[in-house]
Amino acid sequence: MNLIKGLQRVKALCRTLRVNREIEDLSETYYNQAYQHKSFIKVSLNKKEVLAGCCVLVSCRLLNWPITMGTISCLLDADSMVVGAVYEEMVKILNIKAPIINVTDVMEAHSQEYKISSVYVPEELAENSKDLTKRAVALVELAADSWIVTGRKPIPIMMAAIYLAWQSLKPTKQRLKYSLDKFCQIAKVNKHKPALKRITEMKEVLCKLGKEIPWVKEPVTPDNVVRLMEDILQHRDALLRRALRTHEDALLADCQASCEDSLIEETAPSQISEVVEQTPDLSSVELCESNAERAKQPGDGDDNQCAASEQHSYTQGSQDSSQNWGKRVLFAPPCVIHAKKRRVEQPEPKDVTGDEEISDSEIDSYIRTPREARDFALAQKMFSMSESEKS
Amino acid sequence: MLLNVIATVKLGCRLDLNIIAHKARNVEYKPKVQKYQRRMIREPRTTATIYESGNIVCSGANSEDQSRVATRRYARIVQRLGFPVSFLNFKIQNLVATCSTFPVIRFCGFFTLHSYEPELFPGLFCSVIPGITATIFASGRLTLSGNCILEVLTILLLLRKF
Repeated sequence: MNLIKGLQRVKALCRTLRVNREIEDLSETYYNQAYQHKSFIKVSLNKKEVLAGCCVLVSCRLLNWPITMGTISCLLDADSMVVGAVYEEMVKILNIKAPIINVTDVMEAHSQEYKISSVYVPEELAENSKDLTKRAVALVELAADSWIVTGRKPIPIMMAAIYLAWQSLKPTKQRLKYSLDKFCQIAKVNKHKPALKRITEMKEVLCKLGKEIPWVKEPVTPDNVVRLMEDILQHRDALLRRALRTHEDALLADCQASCEDSLIEETAPSQISEVVEQTPDLSSVELCESNAERAKQPGDGDDNQCAASEQHSYTQGSQDSSQNWGKRVLFAPPCVIHAKKRRVEQPEPKDVTGDEEISDSEIDSYIRTPREARDFALAQKMFSMSESEKS
Repeated sequence: MLLNVIATVKLGCRLDLNIIAHKARNVEYKPKVQKYQRRMIREPRTTATIYESGNIVCSGANSEDQSRVATRRYARIVQRLGFPVSFLNFKIQNLVATCSTFPVIRFCGFFTLHSYEPELFPGLFCSVIPGITATIFASGRLTLSGNCILEVLTILLLLRKF
């Protein structure tokens, strides 16, 4: 009986999502197979319902129908972690290799949830769904290029992109004043808190690119960058190239400035080449390499020594710098730019063999004295008595 | 860098967890909620889960030898409390190692199987070879988990060159 109800639930989900017949059939097949498996035959009805949703999810993914786990969780009114756990188990049992979801593919389906057309909201706040989706997709692609999307949940990113796209399509004072909270209220969607952070990160990226626009004279800040978003997205490739070049030039200038201040050490050219091979492949290292190459020109001995000292000091600090390479590149994952402070690793005793003698005094420190054991038993008894009196 | 070594050992006798909880320090035991005991020692800094059946699971050591020393200490503590323990079938079950790769790996050319669900977990899971799982993060951090230290360390060295 539960199998039949489960299959009916699968059909209902497919009809709600308006998927095609092929996906519906595949979902039913998977549900049949998974239901019979020992991992799912004796689980609760709730879990079986979640299983139905997961079968629909995996079928959609396999047949290129973009859908997120969040959508299924919403439809089932289930916790996304529970859905995730059931999904992982089901995929393992049925040996399914589902393709990785692409945020830009899901964007169009997600933006349909936002009730922002002229039917639902006043004209000054309304926006055409197609334009909104197109602008949001471009913003998500830019976010993906600048490491904002990797490893993050897609829904807050999409929400942030749609919000910024909506503001930028008609950047009036009224729209720019609208907070994410208010926007979600008028669009009738649930707000996701991480979307606020994504908005900040996206604005930072847009500011970095906005600064490279030649016809913009005023300083580009997160407050005024929304007005420039159309231009930024239209010319983003060129602006990205310019921004990277500007950043490299700035790093080179810093390199040279620090060279002049640091001590000059004499190193042989062969040592320089060895050091260059060993250092990681970073843009700043490439800069120093090019600096060293330029400095190797005859008659420029000071710069040569400067480059050598720079390489040498870079190697010495390579372990520290590798921990935070994100601060030297223009775009890096935010978890690298704002890296957590890792606790200092304690030095391991190197002479441990596993068969050392264990002294009694060492073990005694982990065993209670008889008096301590008595006191502990007494305290426990009193505690349990007071608890039973309370209840 | 090895982060964690998980090992198991059988003590060869049944244990009364109540007695151990009363007579030993650094013990966490909630008999109404769980049927095992957790205890910790300072050197090496590890945690052990002790079951009534006499099985111990020891985690937190930074090397295989440290794990062995720690497990022997736990067994010795139980022995001092009056139980006739033996140290049987000591086995390293799992090792977790981590390294930083830079720049961030964009292409997992030689990983055979991968699973990436950003809605559930920010890392990407790869099965490098059967028995070894790699978890890769956007920051470039890579964590390897497996039960053979030689294989885990070999893969770490290979990845640093890659």
